[in-house]
Amino acid sequence: MSGVDQLAMALQALRANWLRGLLTALGVIIGVASLVALTAVSAGAREGVAADLRRLGPNLIKFDGEFVSLPGGGQSATDRTITRGDLEAVAGLPGVTAVAARQTVEGLPVSAGRIQTSLFVSGITPTYLRVHNFAADHGRLLGSADEHLASEVVVLGPQPAAKLFPRGNAVGRNLRILDRQFMVVGVYARKGSLGSDNLDNTAFVPLTAAKRILFGGDNVQSADIQAARQADVVPVMDAVDALIHRRHRIAAARADDFSTEDQATIITTAASATSTFQTLTLALGAIALVVGGIGIMNIMLVSVTERTREIGIRKALGATPGRIQAQFLTEALVLCIAGGLIGVAGGVAAARAISALAGWQTAVAVPSLVIAFATSVAVGLFFGYYPARRAARLPPAVAMRYD
Amino acid sequence: MIEARDLCQRFASGGLAVDALRGVDLVVRGGEFVAIMGPSGSGKSTLLSILGCLEQPSSGSYRLAGEEVAAFDERTAARVRRERIGFVFQAFNLLARSTALENVELPLIYAQQPARERRRRAAGALEAVGLQDRAGHLPSQLSGGQQQRVAVARAIVTQPAVLLADEPTGNLDSRSEADVLEILAHVHAGGATIVMVTHSREVAQCATRIVHMLDGVVDADEALGAATPSGAAAR
Repeated sequence: MSGVDQLAMALQALRANWLRGLLTALGVIIGVASLVALTAVSAGAREGVAADLRRLGPNLIKFDGEFVSLPGGGQSATDRTITRGDLEAVAGLPGVTAVAARQTVEGLPVSAGRIQTSLFVSGITPTYLRVHNFAADHGRLLGSADEHLASEVVVLGPQPAAKLFPRGNAVGRNLRILDRQFMVVGVYARKGSLGSDNLDNTAFVPLTAAKRILFGGDNVQSADIQAARQADVVPVMDAVDALIHRRHRIAAARADDFSTEDQATIITTAASATSTFQTLTLALGAIALVVGGIGIMNIMLVSVTERTREIGIRKALGATPGRIQAQFLTEALVLCIAGGLIGVAGGVAAARAISALAGWQTAVAVPSLVIAFATSVAVGLFFGYYPARRAARLPPAVAMRYD
Repeated sequence: MIEARDLCQRFASGGLAVDALRGVDLVVRGGEFVAIMGPSGSGKSTLLSILGCLEQPSSGSYRLAGEEVAAFDERTAARVRRERIGFVFQAFNLLARSTALENVELPLIYAQQPARERRRRAAGALEAVGLQDRAGHLPSQLSGGQQQRVAVARAIVTQPAVLLADEPTGNLDSRSEADVLEILAHVHAGGATIVMVTHSREVAQCATRIVHMLDGVVDADEALGAATPSGAAAR
């Protein structure tokens, strides 16, 4: 008997009771769908972390000055403790490829003509834009000439550029920060956000110019230290801690007047908030699949009992036990394959819906679909085997007398 | 064709052993049409079941076309049924969800015939029982007599050496009974060996020989006058 005949027989038997078949397959459908949707969500989260690392710059350590509590309840790094000498010493550590200093003032009034807004204004060394993978959308980024000359130039974020110069092309135009005039030399490409921080709402000026005109002093609030490789991040962080302890003469018992943090850790921590939930739901999906398999076994056993007489007839007509077993196994498999296909489609749809509704990034990977589908087939084989075997072993004379 | 020696069948139910057959000897030559008669519980259905390899005897020897099949394994039994035996049952036993043609095709599916060949032979068998225009009907759309004719077509489609019929007219009205018996006579005339269990003396009359059973043994064996290709009773 060919596979086609086998399949035709299975389909005929299932069609006779299609609603029961559908309900039976529901467990498999739900199980497979949740497995597919969840792997898509967690793959999306992983991809999101990888994309964040690419977007925000790899192998970075945030090096902040002493934090003070703000009246509003938040905390802010101050420029009380990190000196230019500290930064130069850090830059000399092995494994450090760049040190990018940054001094930010929030909510400075910035105006162009009659349009006024308030922005994050950051004085930075030109390496800052490089280690954070900033790219120019229009014009150019800040260069070392701007740094040396302390030029009064500014690179705007895409949001303030659009706001201050609504008719487009901000490059070459002037704006005022406090009461000083700066020329816009570039607009950087959209960066999105890191956690709750909006990264598109900043005006970057050379740190030298910012110090001279806006902030005064020689210290900075923070710096980003780039390590040569991911593996260097932790050793470099330890070396920075030790170095600054020494330079600031901090006794072991006293609190640090600075902090270091691995940017990758910040990103991963933010992403892992959903991972417990995911593991839980993944487990539920697996349970649904097993319960679905038991449901299939149950219904196949019922089916074998109901069709005892049919089995007897088929045997009388020359069907071997192997054929009977194959027939019932095929039915279980068809249920699971159909359930698996519907489940895969449902899972992909669910992943899309999650993306659209919850805003989570999802990534449907073909291997995960194949695995989920293969699992449903395995469930069919596993749970279909016993009922099929039972059918195959029915003695024909007994089966024929069954009513 | 059929050579059964000292067949015994004991069923154990609960603590009670029931002897359905207590040493049946039966030889049926090729081309004979044997009717087995006897009261309920005399063992005739059990004998037919053993002859059809649907169950194994507790003891005794059974040779079918020279092959010892009393102690068969399931696979061998399935092969023997497929190749040598056709069944007709009192309850028709058609598959309810399959059309007449599909029912007739079934033994050919198990005999691994290609689809085209199957269809051709099944259509031929349906024509032989006069139901070629009912090929697409489901059993529920056929009368009892028509259903039994489909069952006969299914039994003969593989051209088995032996046709076993268990009360083939037991559920039929007299008109349908006559139809089915006529077809069986026709099949017999075509050279097939037929063993038929029946209650009815009248039905048994179309056989060439009547074997009477009582309490699990052959009680009497009578040859009927009708001429057959290979003669009358043996033994």
